Amino acid sequence: MKASANNLNQTPIDGNVIDRCKRGDVRAFRELYNAYAAAMYNICLRMTNNVSDAEDTLQEAFIQVHRNIGKLEREASVTAWIKRIVVNHCLNNLRKKKVYFEEVEEVEVAEEAGIDEDSFTWTVSAVKSAIHGLPQGYRTVLNLYLFEDYSHREIADMMGITESTVKTQYMRAKEKVRQIVKQQNLIR
Amino acid sequence: MPENFESFIQQHRDAFEEPGPSPKVWDALERELEGSRKGRIVSMMGRNWFKAAVIAVLLVNAAVLFYIAKHKQHQQQDLAVVIPEIQEAKVYYTNRINEKLELINAYPANELGLDSAARQELQLRNDTYKTLENELKNNPGNQRIRGAMIRYYQLKLELLDKILEELQDKHATPPTHTKKQYEAEI
Repeated sequence: MKASANNLNQTPIDGNVIDRCKRGDVRAFRELYNAYAAAMYNICLRMTNNVSDAEDTLQEAFIQVHRNIGKLEREASVTAWIKRIVVNHCLNNLRKKKVYFEEVEEVEVAEEAGIDEDSFTWTVSAVKSAIHGLPQGYRTVLNLYLFEDYSHREIADMMGITESTVKTQYMRAKEKVRQIVKQQNLIR
Repeated sequence: MPENFESFIQQHRDAFEEPGPSPKVWDALERELEGSRKGRIVSMMGRNWFKAAVIAVLLVNAAVLFYIAKHKQHQQQDLAVVIPEIQEAKVYYTNRINEKLELINAYPANELGLDSAARQELQLRNDTYKTLENELKNNPGNQRIRGAMIRYYQLKLELLDKILEELQDKHATPPTHTKKQYEAEI
């Protein structure tokens, strides 16, 4: 069960900074950027899979944040709002690169299928490397679900595919990661 | 004890984070923001030169008055108690200004062609107003500041009238929709 679309537990800036940003104060906007840049850059990096594209996407997303901050309502979560802009930018840039998030036939993929996890060890570097090597569609779904804490329903809406496709792609992505990590264990 | 995939990620979530972006991202962003800011001001002045000119005058006034106010002793006294006639003018002009603002606010932001800073400047109780109010409290006998306050009200009213005129010229009939309905339609 997903608690929220937000892995930053609290907004790291106060409402005064947002008010100043709305009045066009560049120093306040820098405070906002400094508070969120690292977390949002990590989202971009996971989604685009390379540093240069991640930095470009981050920059474009913050330009949009700047343009639209006047529309941000006082009660809204700043973190969730900025995060949604960043994720949408990542998805749009992937679409521009002709990455299509296709529907797949609904295939039952059994939870924890096939591979005996007792027989190998998870490590951060092995998992990172396995995720890095996933096909773009699988990686996008897996990142949005596991790292960005969006629900299957939210991911389906953002990517324009069905919820069942999201679930299937997630299960396949997870299975693929397991296989890659297991192979890496065997090589050692 | 072996971990499953999801619990492994949750337990080592921080280890998956990379350091933030390079400083060149902010540098490029700042240049972009400066560029768009200048572009917006020039384009706004082209389309709404009169509004832009009046707002510029108000902003300059605000800066000068702020400088003066910084050098005066602050007194926490109510303006109405100190200068009753200014209070009467305040009631009169505030009502009229609020009426005009209400009419202007019925138009969607994109019709006005003003950014949030400019819209803020249209409000009655902006920085210029507050500075003048403080000045009056500190110097109740100063005729020039009293005159400046009245002139501020008149200028604000003229500005709002002019904006309303332009908006009404643009829309032959006054808006009967609420702002939300209008936005939904476009």
